[in-house]
Amino acid sequence: MSVLSHDDVFAVHNLKTGTLRLRRNNSEHNALLDEVCEAVDAPDAVDKQAEIIVREMEQHQQLMDDSPVAEELRREALRDLPQGLTMKRNVRAKLSASVSLRSKRRPISFFRRMKYRISFAGKKMHDRLRNLIFSIELWYEAIRNIEGHFGSAVGSYFYFLRWLFAIDLVLAIFVVAFVVIPQVFHDKEGDSIKFGFLDFISGTGALEDSLLFYGHYHDGDVSAIPNLTYNMPFAYFFTMVCLYIIFFGVLCYRTAYSYRLNFIYTAGGLSHVYANKVFCGWDFGVVSEQAAALTANSLYNEFKSFTANSLYNEFKELLNEQNKKQVSVSALTRLGQYAANVAVTALVLALIGAAQFALWLLVALRPSLPYWELFVSFVITAVITLCPLFFHVVVKLEFYRPRMALYVTIARTWLLDVGTLTLLLVYYTRSDIQCWETSFGQETYRLVLLDTVISLFVLPLFEFTRALGHKFSPSENAPTFNIAYNSLTLIYNQAVLWFGMLFSPLLVVCVTLKLFILFYVKRECALRACQPATKVWRAAQTQTILYMFVTLSMFTTLFVLGSLFFRTSSHACGPFRGYEFVYSVVSEGVLRLRERDSLRAALHFLVRPGVIAFVTLSLCVVVYYVRSRALAQRSMVRLLRQMLVLQAKDKDFLLTAISKVSNGEWLYSPKPATEDEGPDSHTVKYLRDVRKPSNAGFHFDASRLSHSLLEGRPRSYAKDNNRSSIAERKPEDGDTDSSFSWQGSNNYLNKSDDGDKPWM
Amino acid sequence: MGNKVVTFTEQQLEDYQDCTFFTRKEILRVFKRFREVNPELVPKRMTENQAHTIAVPVEEIEKLPELKENPFKRRICQVFSHDGSGNLTFEDFLDMMSVFSEAAPRDIKAWYAFRIYDLDDDMFIGRDDLLEATRLLTKGELHPQEREDIVTSVLDEADVDGDGRLSFMDFEHVVVRAPDFLSTFHIRV
Repeated sequence: MSVLSHDDVFAVHNLKTGTLRLRRNNSEHNALLDEVCEAVDAPDAVDKQAEIIVREMEQHQQLMDDSPVAEELRREALRDLPQGLTMKRNVRAKLSASVSLRSKRRPISFFRRMKYRISFAGKKMHDRLRNLIFSIELWYEAIRNIEGHFGSAVGSYFYFLRWLFAIDLVLAIFVVAFVVIPQVFHDKEGDSIKFGFLDFISGTGALEDSLLFYGHYHDGDVSAIPNLTYNMPFAYFFTMVCLYIIFFGVLCYRTAYSYRLNFIYTAGGLSHVYANKVFCGWDFGVVSEQAAALTANSLYNEFKSFTANSLYNEFKELLNEQNKKQVSVSALTRLGQYAANVAVTALVLALIGAAQFALWLLVALRPSLPYWELFVSFVITAVITLCPLFFHVVVKLEFYRPRMALYVTIARTWLLDVGTLTLLLVYYTRSDIQCWETSFGQETYRLVLLDTVISLFVLPLFEFTRALGHKFSPSENAPTFNIAYNSLTLIYNQAVLWFGMLFSPLLVVCVTLKLFILFYVKRECALRACQPATKVWRAAQTQTILYMFVTLSMFTTLFVLGSLFFRTSSHACGPFRGYEFVYSVVSEGVLRLRERDSLRAALHFLVRPGVIAFVTLSLCVVVYYVRSRALAQRSMVRLLRQMLVLQAKDKDFLLTAISKVSNGEWLYSPKPATEDEGPDSHTVKYLRDVRKPSNAGFHFDASRLSHSLLEGRPRSYAKDNNRSSIAERKPEDGDTDSSFSWQGSNNYLNKSDDGDKPWM
Repeated sequence: MGNKVVTFTEQQLEDYQDCTFFTRKEILRVFKRFREVNPELVPKRMTENQAHTIAVPVEEIEKLPELKENPFKRRICQVFSHDGSGNLTFEDFLDMMSVFSEAAPRDIKAWYAFRIYDLDDDMFIGRDDLLEATRLLTKGELHPQEREDIVTSVLDEADVDGDGRLSFMDFEHVVVRAPDFLSTFHIRV
């Protein structure tokens, strides 16, 4: 245990940008630390050290209040203390004693006590909730097992699957509770419907007029219990709209969270290819011996390829890292690459367009063949299953970095999926089918069912066959778990659900069940048929992209459905057949606009183009403002980073100076005697004012200076240096003072580089 | 379950909950794991004192499946051990699992990762630490000269202040911005 470790303890605290800023600011405390560090081997060292930490914390009034907020802060501070648990408990006991001692002086009012009690209860609730979530955490052992075998990348696919399952489960519960069950009460005549297998797959026949689809739902009040009525159109409309909007919010939040974690925090870093490999190369979650051997082996290969310097850049690309020192390719080659990318993209887009057009023609054929719809759905599923494979191949013709290539493939597949679904929806709204909502519901039902067949039977069969092939002839590659493709099928599945939920309320139950089974099937596939990948797959950022696409499908759905609400609904079936438009449920059913003229006038005003244009414009202004702030901050970061580098050089220079001083080679003369540099010149002024240790420029890690570099110098000097530099660590200083010192030091360095140092 | 053995007192649990990133049940799960290592040594009921006095020897801790394959297992134990020997008391073990848990923030993880990679415990990751780390990572298959090259490149990239070794600041600068750090520096209990 050294002095430095304490410095870093507090440095860690300083990082917590929130309320806590534990700084060492009194010299008495410094002395105390030193004392303890020397006496650390003494038996009561822990006690003493705890005492110091407590004393440090006592300096902060915020922490020491006897209020729940302060208690929460104390908890956080304690948690984030990089000390052993025994120490923490010691500190905690001392701290709470100290707090209760202080609080006795001030009686608190009744109102405050109530407030504390409530927030205390809230905290208890929160803890209990966490406990509950923990105890119902599904598939914990299973995912842990998979992660142990395949590393965290494959694990993240299963987390994604579980997350989707959880979302769909909640959706299913709400839909069943508010929409399906009331309808069941309404239908209670209960004649059992009989249907054959093909009816079951295609959702036609007897199933057409069942709870499964939109058309069956009642358009009036349900009164199963006497004196209580339940308005089915209201229930249907508001349940669906609320669920869509709430889950859109949840998805946005989740995506933003993931984005923040994986992109924003990590953005703007220099490319640390080697350092990342060494420090983040090992997956600490790996448990199985085989996976550990493979990880070590892949790291070995990567390092090996690094050392072959001529191939350096190529392998850098292979490792999906951003490459700054790209091999300087000629402009012509780059132009050719761009052209190839554009051409292939155009080709793919044309292909997607052609596929959509062909599908449109196919759907529009509608010959009166039995189970023709089933055939159509089959074709759609085939297109959607096979096209991604084609995209995977075609992207190899292009010149993207591997990670980018993956994103491009995902984006194309997503475009195909959502495009097809939108096309189907548009087709059905324009068709002259009696109850097109039900038909679209049937379509989505068939798609989900067929996709279930594919992902539960066909793909596992394929994987097991390959595994068997590998067993008998080991020369053949064993299948590895294809995270990208598997995740894509999940995204497609979810997109179908978003589109179909409104028209087939029970679809969400089907999808939930499907995901539940899928988890077990995929687990078996992974554990029995697949081998751990020989190449480490970096999943963190890809996960964000997957979440983003789920959210995007939701957004598209909301957009499409929203525009549908303003079109006429089917008058032949469904809960809204009593209204002209779907949105009339709100305007006439709830608000009764016809009877309230003033409200109608107000709403009418709000939807005028002028008002909407104004709102849009002000949104634009806000976005512009936020964006320019972000840009400014980015340039600030760049500036600070440059400063950091320059100050490092500065320090380097100072170190040599100091070593010269200690060798007695350098005598300090306050007035530089040079001809070309008058006493008023910038450099000299700078030397006088800014270079003094008490000024801001020189605060870069002075603590280390005191520890390692001033060895053998009077201790008090080191401490002085240290303290003053820390006292200067105020964020507002960064703007003015140090930017000046940055420029100045640049100047200064240039001078010193000349070799002839005038002030020496 | 009427005959459930109470492992910890209420006060202890409260303390642990406040000092780690775990919930009650997770703490009990960690205890179960800990006890499995050596059921004879670790009693079913932990008193206040036993939680930080009874230490399981490092050789046995290393046999835990979570650590068994980890190239840095010995160093991890040493970092979290109360006396630096690698023998872990329950409180040390809980602390370790808390740092490796999903809920632990980046800063804390970075600090302990720094301690782990600082194999000689001098508060800097020097050349020797990096050489040893690369050896451990590749299970000793890399040629010494190659390791030298790699270490030089790592220092080139990460050593901002140019003193030939990585301080915590340098290390943090690399690790906090690495997209995969959080997902790899993570052990599930």
